Amino acid sequence: MKLTPTTSTKIITNSSRLACSSFDSLWGIVFILAVLTPDLTASSREIPESNPKKPSEYREFEFIKRYCLECHSGKKPKASLDLSRFDSIDRIVSEALLWDKILIQLGEGDMPPEEANLPTLDERSNFLNWVESSLQKAACQSGPHPGPAVLRRLNRAEYSASVRDLLDIHFDAGEALPSDGSGGEGFDNASETLFISPIHAEKYMDAARVAVEYAFADTRSLRRFLVAEPDEKTPPEVAARRVIEAFLPRAFRRSIPESEILEYLALFHAAYEADPSFTVAIRLTLQAVLISPKFLFIAEEPNFDAKPHKVTDHELASRLSYFLWGSLPDDALLKAANEGNLSDSTILQEQFKRMLGKQNSRKVRNFSQNFVEQWLGTRALGREFKPDKSISGYDSELEGGMKYEPVFFFNEILTKNRSLLDLLKADYTYVNRRLARHYRIKGEFREQPKRVQLTDQNRRGGLLSMAAVLAVSSYPHRTSPVLRGKWILETILGDPPPPPPPNVPELEESESSVSAESLRERLEIHRQDTACAQCHDRIDPLGFGLENYGVLGRWRDKYEGHPVDARGALPDGTTFSGPAELKLALLGRKDQFVRHLTKKMLGYALGRGLTYYDYCVVNSIVDKLRANDYRSHYLLFGIIQSVPFRFKAGIASDEGEHGSTLNQDESIHD
Amino acid sequence: MTRPSMALPRRTFLKGAGAALALPWLEAMLPQRLAAASTNPQPIRLAALFMPNGVREDQWTPTGQGSEFALSPTLKPLESFKNDILVPTNLWNQGSDYGDGHYVKTSGFLTCTTINKSLGYDLNSNGISMDQIAARSIAQKTPLPSLELAIDPVTIGVDTNVGYTRVYGSHIAWNKPTRPLAREINPRLVFERLFRINNPSSTNTISDSLLLDRVLADAKQLRRRVGTSDKARIDDYLESVRALERRIEQTSQSAVRSWSPRGEIRPESKPERRPDEHPERVRLMLDMIALAFQTDSTRVCTFMFGNAVSNTNFSFLEGVKGGHHSLSHHERKEENLTQYQRIGQWHIEQYAYLLNKLKSFKEGESTVLDNSMILFGSGLRDGNKHSPHNLPLVLGGRAGGRINTGQHLVYDKDTPLSNLYCCILDAFGAPVERFADSTGKLKGILS
Repeated sequence: MKLTPTTSTKIITNSSRLACSSFDSLWGIVFILAVLTPDLTASSREIPESNPKKPSEYREFEFIKRYCLECHSGKKPKASLDLSRFDSIDRIVSEALLWDKILIQLGEGDMPPEEANLPTLDERSNFLNWVESSLQKAACQSGPHPGPAVLRRLNRAEYSASVRDLLDIHFDAGEALPSDGSGGEGFDNASETLFISPIHAEKYMDAARVAVEYAFADTRSLRRFLVAEPDEKTPPEVAARRVIEAFLPRAFRRSIPESEILEYLALFHAAYEADPSFTVAIRLTLQAVLISPKFLFIAEEPNFDAKPHKVTDHELASRLSYFLWGSLPDDALLKAANEGNLSDSTILQEQFKRMLGKQNSRKVRNFSQNFVEQWLGTRALGREFKPDKSISGYDSELEGGMKYEPVFFFNEILTKNRSLLDLLKADYTYVNRRLARHYRIKGEFREQPKRVQLTDQNRRGGLLSMAAVLAVSSYPHRTSPVLRGKWILETILGDPPPPPPPNVPELEESESSVSAESLRERLEIHRQDTACAQCHDRIDPLGFGLENYGVLGRWRDKYEGHPVDARGALPDGTTFSGPAELKLALLGRKDQFVRHLTKKMLGYALGRGLTYYDYCVVNSIVDKLRANDYRSHYLLFGIIQSVPFRFKAGIASDEGEHGSTLNQDESIHD
Repeated sequence: MTRPSMALPRRTFLKGAGAALALPWLEAMLPQRLAAASTNPQPIRLAALFMPNGVREDQWTPTGQGSEFALSPTLKPLESFKNDILVPTNLWNQGSDYGDGHYVKTSGFLTCTTINKSLGYDLNSNGISMDQIAARSIAQKTPLPSLELAIDPVTIGVDTNVGYTRVYGSHIAWNKPTRPLAREINPRLVFERLFRINNPSSTNTISDSLLLDRVLADAKQLRRRVGTSDKARIDDYLESVRALERRIEQTSQSAVRSWSPRGEIRPESKPERRPDEHPERVRLMLDMIALAFQTDSTRVCTFMFGNAVSNTNFSFLEGVKGGHHSLSHHERKEENLTQYQRIGQWHIEQYAYLLNKLKSFKEGESTVLDNSMILFGSGLRDGNKHSPHNLPLVLGGRAGGRINTGQHLVYDKDTPLSNLYCCILDAFGAPVERFADSTGKLKGILS
């Protein structure tokens, strides 16, 4: 199949109001920039002298001139945004944050607006790539650019894991908390979307009460945190002090000054006075710890210097443990931090290996699960995705097998330092009894997933042939080459297609009983419409490569009486037939895949969306991976060693002034 | 070691309670207080029920105008409530006519603003939702300023296709432009929460306040330490803790109460944890709204039948095969339209169920429904077009006589939805000069 990008068709048919609203938001950006960079208004008035352009760049500035300046120049530029000053790459780089925003609007087709002169898809993507790579190059040259000190609440999973490890209980304390949404790179640990609603305190209060009660009923767990009890030699307050001294550093993940010990001891005293029972009073004290924002929030000391600073050893310990375990640091990690040498790269590497060491570690598997399910979207299984009743064979054991296959598989890649390319193509996987039958794999299996060596006949290996992935990229009642193609572009190649224009029905969505042949035909007719073809030429042919798999990923040679036609093509025109060739074709784009995965992992590790500053780190990690057979530890440790992971940016010095805020403290909250 | 002796009302209650499904709503069970309260003006309640994915447009709008109108096939389940409802036609949500097909139309449904295009970092609805303006006006009068309920958990991920985090598609209530309110999706937890509010234990008050004092002090310490932009997050937590503190004081038996429950909640009426079947989940959540309003635990509630783009499988309905969102892309095919209409009608049946329940609660000479405003609506009209023109909306209840129900009111094309919200806020007792893009109040609604 040959794919020719069509030209000069407008894919963006949004209404003109769209343009206005986009201008509004851009205006906001410009306003902020104007405050931050006083020279901006001046520079927009006078057009600076042109630097000589390289011939290769000429085309790019021509893009701005042709598609942007009609509105964004002159006396009254739209959105007060005058782009005419951007006539050299240096000028673009000098206002990188503004361009970061502009690129988003361009990339998503919000700009230029419908009624304007529109670039072709090729022109658009060439321009985007050029600006992006220029910004990245500049970011790399300008030195380290970490994000600010972290302040975020633990998400529900982190809360549960932290309480579990702190009290050593087998109990999901966070079950009744509200679910968290996702931000940034698509993960629910992104600080920007970890909101606090009025309901949270109440939920934390209940959860702490139940968790502590649970822990007090378990002698094994009691040994972990109730390190002292009053007896003839030990008065209650002495026992309480010992418990608090042992508990607080673990809960707050740092060393605790005497003043804080005294505060919690005071709480113990007050409770003991009200009800002279050691147990009652110490329980209340521990509950308070679990509701304290010092436990619930990861709160790093802000850096009030202009320059980036290293995070403290305790902060690094928390960053490490919430990255690799999704939970608080254990005693060994805290010890290393207490000794003040965690940032030493030998010690750091030792800790990294220790933390990741055991494949059966529940904590590492938590990490694998949190990351994989959100990256692949397989968390939707049994939630947003449930197969139609017409799809036979779905039961809870199969759902469990499907859900855990990518988790265990990824967990092995991480813990055994395997190649990340195994994700695309591998000769092993993990199945439980029910999934083995589903895949027609022979052998002895149980309800727990077990590693299995694959042969060609299994037609399995790698993420693309996993039932969970194939299901969440299907409709509940049938497969969809469009959804699966889109899934590959988004999840594997990191190149999501722009949204469909409004008012265009999604052609094949509601067809319940369309045959495979007629679906292919219909999609081909669909793509004869050039407006649709611009994107669907990229999407559909990819998805057809997976047509041999049913809704739940079961292999099929025939679909509704016809042999499956699994011929397809990559966006660059590389053709293939069937899933095996599709995987090979994707391996041909391995750097694109690995780069996307690196971005995802970095976003997860940092708990925030990436900015263009971070892409420099991404590139250098990808370089290292390429030189080291794409082994997973080069990804993980590369991130851990990176500037954004080990440093925090400075914030404007006036933010650090405490004087005025002290008064606010007393008045703002009533 | 001494065994724990601290009273734990919730756990005790958990142990003792059976899991009865049906909630007994006999007026005889209501305590004397209610009768006494009836001489005072009754509290006005407001609920907004959001349905994703729009409606079959040719079977939504009633025929006829004013009080002489006939219900459409989709609205047929409201036949016995014809005098209790009001159907406005031709309202639109201008702020949401932008961006994408769903997220903008969900998060902006009650704010009437244009939300920021964002994957999270600068997430902002650019407004406060109408329900929260109402809630703010009566914040001190009930234990819960408002109650946010839903069926689905927050949808995972960000939609890189359109450039929005799916957080937007999972929220309609905003009490700050940067803060969507967390929703409760488990009816049993809602019940336990309401039960605790209505049956407070006096023994815990002292220890609770000791504990919260410590937490507040820690929050203040932390607040002093962090940078300016992060203080807002700590403030959110402080606010949350204070709200809890206030509630404990407000409902505790020992303190001077500023509030007392208007009904009694029987522990045996506790719902199942979270049933698997969609219809049952929805019914239980609607029961919780009724319970909260009946007991006056709150006067403001929002409920989402589903998140944006919800593809809930409706094959439990006769003749329906497939998911809600898929069927909303009907391509004008009769086969799909029939199913799409059936799903819309099912939602109206649930709405009628709630109206019926509220109507069955007597409040002096009137009923709880008479003293409520229950809004039903979707953020778009036709799922195939994703258009926020002529939105499907129904308002039920008279707000204590302030709303002229029993009408189909046809307005000029593209009359702002926010004008309706101005009327609602007025009837609620929280009048505003303007709301978002409002141009005035709708005619014919307020008496």
